[in-house]
Amino acid sequence: MTQETRIIESTWDLTAYQFKIEADALSLFVKGLKDRKILGRKCGTCGTVYVPGPTYCRKCLIDIDQVVEVSQEGRLDAFTVSLADVRGKAVDNPFISCTVKLDGSDSFLMGVLEGWTDWRSVKEGMRVKVVWKDVTQGALADLSHFQLI
Amino acid sequence: MGRNVAIISVGYNGRFISKRPDINIPELIQPAVNNALGKTKLKPEHIDAYVVGNMHTFEGVNQPHLWASDHFNGSGKPVMRIATGGTTGASVYQAAYYHVASGMYDVVMAIGWEKQDEGDSQVGLMGILLPEAFSLFHFGPDTSSDRGIAGLGGGGSTGGAAFQAMSYLTRANAGIEHIDRVAALMRSNAAKNPYAHLQQPGCTEADIAGTPIISYPLRFGHTCPTSCGAIAMILVSEEKAKKFGLTDRVAWVKGLGSGTSDATTGNLIEGQITDPAEQQICKITAKKVYSMAGIKDPRKDIQVAEVYSGFSHQDLMWPERLGLFEEGMAPKILDKGGYAIDGELPINPSGGVTSTNAIGASAMVRVGEAALQVMGLAEGGHQVKRKIENAVAHGWGGLFQFVTITVLGKTPVKK
Ligand SMILES: [Zn+2]
Repeated sequence: MTQETRIIESTWDLTAYQFKIEADALSLFVKGLKDRKILGRKCGTCGTVYVPGPTYCRKCLIDIDQVVEVSQEGRLDAFTVSLADVRGKAVDNPFISCTVKLDGSDSFLMGVLEGWTDWRSVKEGMRVKVVWKDVTQGALADLSHFQLI
Repeated sequence: MGRNVAIISVGYNGRFISKRPDINIPELIQPAVNNALGKTKLKPEHIDAYVVGNMHTFEGVNQPHLWASDHFNGSGKPVMRIATGGTTGASVYQAAYYHVASGMYDVVMAIGWEKQDEGDSQVGLMGILLPEAFSLFHFGPDTSSDRGIAGLGGGGSTGGAAFQAMSYLTRANAGIEHIDRVAALMRSNAAKNPYAHLQQPGCTEADIAGTPIISYPLRFGHTCPTSCGAIAMILVSEEKAKKFGLTDRVAWVKGLGSGTSDATTGNLIEGQITDPAEQQICKITAKKVYSMAGIKDPRKDIQVAEVYSGFSHQDLMWPERLGLFEEGMAPKILDKGGYAIDGELPINPSGGVTSTNAIGASAMVRVGEAALQVMGLAEGGHQVKRKIENAVAHGWGGLFQFVTITVLGKTPVKK
């Protein structure tokens, strides 16, 4: 097979792209983190609690403004164990990223799971709690990780 | 539903492989077009219109249909390009169906392709593959954080799909060995399909289990390849099928539909409520499609399925969500041999997407393979021997929130 394809060097300027996100949902959530609170919004019609909370209910398609604080404990929903890097090379310290449903919330949060020694013993449904950074400053990183209880 | 529509021919450019540096996109498409035409008595001038598609930008070419139209004889005729990500091939096929069912055209060609050696699809698929990107989509970019919920640092893995796999295994009370087993079956099925990419004759559970874990519970052996290839299908009205004398060896479109739910992963910063293994939208869409097709009990009335599984756990999950097995039963049916080409309900005799994935073609390959099974024309030993009255083909896309389903059969639905 002949190599007839030509390779053309070029660049792609990604700064030309702008993404608009609904800042209200995230800013409520992030502001709460400074005070070590997990805040979301609840739909008054169907009762669904979203964390972070959008300003509308995705089921009822109505505006919602009821702010609720949810528990800092919850249930391990799903998780995956990273045993290799992007190139497929085994890593020395595997880590678990997980989704957690905090008590009182209908949506799940993502994070890193700690408090285990053998990843094989981690099971869906285990109880977890939020662990904060020593100093909270109103940033997503304030929420350090989830810890098995 | 409009007029009855039949698929009369399915053509491939050749075997799907990783790299075709010797040809360009139009040259990849043309042999598939010629192959589809060559299986009928039709000439290029018989085609009234074309619907074509690939994954947008994956090959770095913006409007490949304009470049390629001369090469599939599309110049001077209606050409519609559709790009809907993973479901592209099925969307192209569905649009071709509507072209004919509506009465606007009698003979329409659908073409799907991907030439992945010309781009970097891995970058485009980060949201599915890497938990870091999954998290970024989930919370939005946050440059202030080091590690923590928005900056899952270090390592790379099969993010969204791995979460889905874990959730599925828990729901079905199954283990990673079931994913190994179904992955092995697909690779050995692929060895019986002359067009499949990763052909591993007699591939065993142990062969797959020997591949490294990327992100538990998914291993390298559970993931799909990046393939180059093209598929072309010809769809005609019932009158034309009769006129061409082609009513014996055709696949009738009996039902079709698509559905959308909220993104089960990765909707920017809005709390996610849907488990990626739940797939309510697949169940709802399947019900609608079966009712359109006159299928009362899919477990009895459907004899073969081609499902779109970019990751092997989905070969267990989708047949359940399509109502072909009871929920949680797929691993047990697999263990009893039910999935095999000579099994009770063969799943992906072609070897499926984990053996061959030219993205823009893949969802149409599912339809094309279902059509070939109905026609009795699947080559190289992957034809199901049992009598096939109906076949179902499925595709998914996005971050698990789009689904397309179609039922093909030996006899058309009466109008
Ligand atoms: Zn609501």
